[in-house]
Amino acid sequence: SRGEQDKLLRLTTTLYVGNLSFFTTEEQIYELFTRCGDVRRIIMGLDKYKKTPCGFCFVEYYNREDAENCLRYVNGTRLDDRIVRTDWDAGFIEGRQYGRG
Amino acid sequence: KRRRVSENQEIEDRLESLILRVGEKSTSSLESNLEGLASVLEADLGTFRLKILRILTDCAIRMPEKCTIYTTLVGLLNAKNYNFGGEFVEYMVKTFKDSLKACKWNAARYALRFLADLVNCHVLSASSLLQLLDNMIDTANEDNVPQVRRDWYIFAILSTLPWVGRELYEKKEAALEHLLVSIEIFLNKRSKKHHNALRVWASDTPHPQEEYLDCLWSQIRKLRSDNWAEKHIPRPYLAFDSTLCEALQHNLPKIIPPPHQDSNKYPMPWVVFRMFDYTDCPEGPILPGTHSIERFLIEEHLHSIIELYHLERKDCAAHLLNFPYKLKIPLEYCIVEVIFAELFNMPSPRFLDIAYGAMLIELCKLQPSTMPQVLAQATEILFMRIDSMNVSCFDRLVIWFSYHLSNFQFRWSWEDWESCLSLDSEHPKPKFIKETMLRCMRLSYHQRIKEILPANFSCYIPEKAEAEYKYAKEGAAALPGTAAAHQLVVSFRQKCTPEEVLNVLKDLPNPRPDDDPASESRFNPLKIDVFVQTLLNLGSKSFSHSFSAISKFHYVFKILADCEEAQICILRNMFELWYNHQQMMIVLIDKMLKTQIVKCSAVANWIFAKEMCQEFTKNYIWEILHLTIKKMNKHIIKLGGELAEAREKLARAESSESEDEEEDEDKKKPEDAEKPTEEMVERMEEKLEAAQGDQKNLFLIIFQRFIMILSEHLVRCDTDGRDYNTHWYRWTIGRLQQVFLAHHEQVQKYSPTLETLLFTQDLDPHVLEVFHQFVSLQG
Repeated sequence: SRGEQDKLLRLTTTLYVGNLSFFTTEEQIYELFTRCGDVRRIIMGLDKYKKTPCGFCFVEYYNREDAENCLRYVNGTRLDDRIVRTDWDAGFIEGRQYGRG
Repeated sequence: KRRRVSENQEIEDRLESLILRVGEKSTSSLESNLEGLASVLEADLGTFRLKILRILTDCAIRMPEKCTIYTTLVGLLNAKNYNFGGEFVEYMVKTFKDSLKACKWNAARYALRFLADLVNCHVLSASSLLQLLDNMIDTANEDNVPQVRRDWYIFAILSTLPWVGRELYEKKEAALEHLLVSIEIFLNKRSKKHHNALRVWASDTPHPQEEYLDCLWSQIRKLRSDNWAEKHIPRPYLAFDSTLCEALQHNLPKIIPPPHQDSNKYPMPWVVFRMFDYTDCPEGPILPGTHSIERFLIEEHLHSIIELYHLERKDCAAHLLNFPYKLKIPLEYCIVEVIFAELFNMPSPRFLDIAYGAMLIELCKLQPSTMPQVLAQATEILFMRIDSMNVSCFDRLVIWFSYHLSNFQFRWSWEDWESCLSLDSEHPKPKFIKETMLRCMRLSYHQRIKEILPANFSCYIPEKAEAEYKYAKEGAAALPGTAAAHQLVVSFRQKCTPEEVLNVLKDLPNPRPDDDPASESRFNPLKIDVFVQTLLNLGSKSFSHSFSAISKFHYVFKILADCEEAQICILRNMFELWYNHQQMMIVLIDKMLKTQIVKCSAVANWIFAKEMCQEFTKNYIWEILHLTIKKMNKHIIKLGGELAEAREKLARAESSESEDEEEDEDKKKPEDAEKPTEEMVERMEEKLEAAQGDQKNLFLIIFQRFIMILSEHLVRCDTDGRDYNTHWYRWTIGRLQQVFLAHHEQVQKYSPTLETLLFTQDLDPHVLEVFHQFVSLQG
């Protein structure tokens, strides 16, 4: 429900990261995003059919505060010459990594 | 009745907004706004007295840059209503005392400054302020308290004098002189052993790196020699002189600062970072000199803007560029100097590195005509002076610069740094370029780095980060593990179990002699070699692939490497496969520490091993060591927190059982329900103690290895008659210093042990000095 979703968003440590280049790797994302804190995992968004990166990913931190700092300092700055967009995500669920490509 | 409440609320809100906003841009003059506001507030003093007191005090502490505006307002109110003036003073004194008690040092300083400025507004008598300052001097002269506490009291007095110096000089010259003499005596006796540890640069040319109290003292002395005339602080009360003169003054009550508690945390000392003087900014307004009080006031103001807005980088940049006195100073230079001062602050910056990086990006975007140029000039200056920069700042500069470049298409005039090409590769300048490129590559990719550098800089292009899997290379057939490795690849592809892996490895011979007495266990390095290199090579596609490979075969790691020696063997094999991919090694070690495949002490011993000497001065090695130490520290902090929580729960449960048994059941917090038993707490204590034992052991290993290699170097240079002060020596002693400083809170606990076991008097004085500087930090 809406209320549960809001609660998840208030507590989550996961960010949705968009507007990435298709060539940006997990390693590059790791380098930039760990500057805000310890990253638990990165899940690359993949093209449903080709299974290749398609411009988004999920970054999960251990701590909420680190994720907050990421929104403050990484959101709107560049990685691989593209302006990275970050937003709260209620938490990664298997299957969500497949985008439309 | 309800309407009444909401009406009052409305008025309160309006008053609050009026008070908060006074001094902001407005169509009428500040003076008429203040006058108007004073009349409004006077009329409401009856009903809203407490509210007004609270808002004014809050403003005083939270907006220190508007101090003189609010003191003027209080002055006007005091002239109209003497009792209210008295109540306000009481309120402010309470705030001052509470802040001291709560160790809110800046709030206390702002409260003190406000009280001092009330002398200028004829609310307080000069003599009662001097009495307070004298009491603070007495506090600073107490024995058997940490120097950081004593220093703070002197700093608080000195940083207040720009506001009230002139008034005290005119009214109480002799008493002011006496105060200054007391301060001078204090400063002359003061130990400054910490100074060298906190410097950004070892050299004092072209700008001295002054200790903060010494610098402020010089600025105050210069102010005194100018008869306390200061040109930076706006003083709106001057316009109301005739009104304020007629008001009656209050006396401060006797204020005795709260005594020292062992749990008190005081501000660390710092070094005043200076990278510019007026010759660096030849156009536009002149940069005030090092010892002019304006420089102190500007810097303090900029630091407080950063503190206030650091969570909102765009607002922060806008407020910095909107600095109220921007036309009188070369603002871009002041901002850049202050931001680098924070980034280079020792032992650590107060905010994340990336917060400053993001701030600088915003500043460049907001002021594209001037900011990028000043920042480029600053970078050039930092690069020119990098020879004597301490290694922590060197690291931060590399991290910032690579990040900045990646946000601006990696554009830089590398040709200007061509002269580096002829320098020794261990020299800080070429090393800075090399390390910056390694970081740039982490943020981009190999081909891009090749494109951004000029052709003759090819030696700075990092190797392509690829796995070197020896069992797939030509000539691999001759290696003893090749057959097993190939078999393992097949098994992995068929999604084998950990047991099956062990089975494949089972017949590999152990190359180590059977009766090696030095070894604690019978591990087989060949098994580890084949397993680690093959597994990690198969997972080489990405970090995620590697991580899942490790967690899938965690069991095999544990079986093959049950002792430290074997764990070092794992690290050695990881290095053999991945030596061209520093970032991969960092995340793999991080993973193996988290999953307890390797212990912290194994990582430390591996870093100092002979075979790693080629890597020893590279940044990533130290990134690994620091992440290892941090992991250990975090673990300790976590266990300590859990223990404290459990103890508290236990105590709370016991007291509620014995005292009020008829207490309402639902009043109890749900967490109280799970009351820990005595045994549980005891077990937690044991766990923490064991972890502290590990932590102490880790620090002992690290410091002992440092002492060994440094002593060896010094002795060898001595016998060979060579200069000991090589690049290697400076990097290594710098890294030793960095370990002490970066983890000082944790290392502090073991100071006595370190002193008796390792940093003994017979040690070379160069090495011992590093320890002494560290000890004096919280002295």
